[in-house]
Amino acid sequence: MSPLEQAPQRFRETAAARLGDAHTQQALDTATSRLREARLAAWGLLPDVEELRERGREIRQRTIGDLDRYVAQFAKAFEANGGHVHFAANAEEATAAIRAICRDADARLVAKAKSMASEEIRLNEALERDGLRVVETDLGEYILQLAGEHPVHIIAPAIEKTAEQVAELLGAVEGRELRPELEELTLAARRQLREVFQTADVGITGANFAVCETGSIVLVTNEGNGRLVSALPRVHVALLGVERLVPTTRDLSVLLRLLARSGTGQRLTTYTTIVTGPRREGEQDGPEELHVVVLDNGRSALRRGRYREMLSCIRCGACLNVCPVYRKSGGGAYGPVYSGPMGAVLVPLLVGLEQAPSLPHASSLCGACTEACPVKIPLHELLLDLRRDLVAEGVAPLPERLAFRLWSLAWSTALGYRLSTAAARLGAPLAPRLPGPGRLWAAERALPRLARRRFRDRRRAT
Amino acid sequence: MHVQLFATCLGDLVFPEAVDDAERLLRAAGHEVEFPPRQVCCGQPAFNAGHRAAARRVARGFARTFSREAPVVVPSGSCATMLSHYLPELLGVEPFEIWELSAFLDANAFAPGPTNEGRRLAYHDSCHMLRELHVAEAPRRLLERSGATVVALPRPDLCCGFGGTFSVRQPEVSVAMADDKLAGARAADALVTADPGCLMQLRGRAERAGGARVVHLATALARGVA
Repeated sequence: MSPLEQAPQRFRETAAARLGDAHTQQALDTATSRLREARLAAWGLLPDVEELRERGREIRQRTIGDLDRYVAQFAKAFEANGGHVHFAANAEEATAAIRAICRDADARLVAKAKSMASEEIRLNEALERDGLRVVETDLGEYILQLAGEHPVHIIAPAIEKTAEQVAELLGAVEGRELRPELEELTLAARRQLREVFQTADVGITGANFAVCETGSIVLVTNEGNGRLVSALPRVHVALLGVERLVPTTRDLSVLLRLLARSGTGQRLTTYTTIVTGPRREGEQDGPEELHVVVLDNGRSALRRGRYREMLSCIRCGACLNVCPVYRKSGGGAYGPVYSGPMGAVLVPLLVGLEQAPSLPHASSLCGACTEACPVKIPLHELLLDLRRDLVAEGVAPLPERLAFRLWSLAWSTALGYRLSTAAARLGAPLAPRLPGPGRLWAAERALPRLARRRFRDRRRAT
Repeated sequence: MHVQLFATCLGDLVFPEAVDDAERLLRAAGHEVEFPPRQVCCGQPAFNAGHRAAARRVARGFARTFSREAPVVVPSGSCATMLSHYLPELLGVEPFEIWELSAFLDANAFAPGPTNEGRRLAYHDSCHMLRELHVAEAPRRLLERSGATVVALPRPDLCCGFGGTFSVRQPEVSVAMADDKLAGARAADALVTADPGCLMQLRGRAERAGGARVVHLATALARGVA
């Protein structure tokens, strides 16, 4: 089963549990507010943010519109640089390709930099089944790996963890007590990860972008782990979502500016690593072998039609940080991989609506996501369209479809409206007792009372 | 000016006094108000839940009942959005001239009476009104003209948690969102909103759990929040 699939009640149950956890609520509010304010400040410093967003959108749409050609161009340039290209239609093919690379390299230890695509294909589990030791080197991901958990935010994966929890997890590795202070914790992580960087046989990274004209892989990090993982081990494998291509370095500069500003409010992230080919003669670092695994996993099926807009996503996380639902529910409710509005749109598109039927409804359609998206994906409108598809494809439950049908038949005329509201007035006392929307509403809110006389009746009477 | 008043279903059935206040404001502003008697609903509840055929059936009633000859004034940000942004495409018809109430009053330089002298009022932006109609200043200006001091909410960008069927599909998250909104309005004499959906959500939660008084903008302007 894909980690993207999830049962209909999962969102509600997980979110409800998160609401009762005061620490998580505080952490979500603090982290999302800080990232949101940082983005707004960074956008504010641009001479014309709308112009930059428009350019970003144009670049993404141009790329997606001609994806086959760009994939071919990228692959050719990547190979010309001395790298190996592997195409993977799905999770099985991607993990198989990476397992084979590790086998051929006689690998025992794999160092990983952050990659949401690797979560999507459950890469760590697949490698561990082969007896490999896999260590996440992004600090947040490392903490989650120690805790046996999954990311709850695509760019700040461990935002729900406290310093105390982190001290306990990192302390357990060294068998000693750590103070929950930033410096002590980062020093401990550095001690623990340094040995991994130095001795790993294979380094696996994601790819924020890949440049077609130069055949380069682009990694964006703030900890420098992406650079170490791609430069020190003998073999470097980059896992690239096929839609993350960028035609030229000029286009890349636009998207890097948008990504850093929208994700963390930085003008550029601390490290921007551009990998163009394996180590060449005379160079001091870089891998002997360089691979890219180009992952489709449902993406190219979206190239035609309404939902191709979602392929423009650059995974900045801005939509999560403004989402009032994510802010309360936390990321886990959306599943173990993608969360927030981008997850609510993308996941059903990748695995099918019947495998994630609650996600299109995990939104109040407030539109804050659309407003925050640096490449102007109309996220809340895509959610509306997914809801339409839920009904059109018969995934929405039959009682719901019947209820709306009956309601619409009644309310298609003024007479039906009058009769049905008169009936509703009689039935109102039952609403909180019968299973259904009335009871769901009334559990923690007063039910609206139907006025004794409708506005139109009052008006007629005066 | 001759205007057509669309009460909206929630306005007609649950908040008739707010619609009454809206009509009084329009008349006080010198407009001639017509109430097309066969009006029902804009279809938004079904549209936002994905039930397009049902939405179309109900929205057609609106298109049959209202005229394109005079502006339609709506005391609801989200219904005004449905009517102006989605209904024409849904039905394949020409657009109507749709105005959210406060935008209409403000555009015609309406000065309400001094109904809120000395009051401190918080204004809650309904999401559709803020982000799709881009009406944020008009209601605040009108409240200020009525004598109120408009106090800022801590996070005016956050939704109150209504979201139509969202409120019953995710009731726990929905209520938590309402609680944050109500908590932010604690320092104000009342929390004012221009959307019956938000009003139902926030008032329903405040009635159950305590919190700010929640008032429709039309009521706040016509009668004050005393």
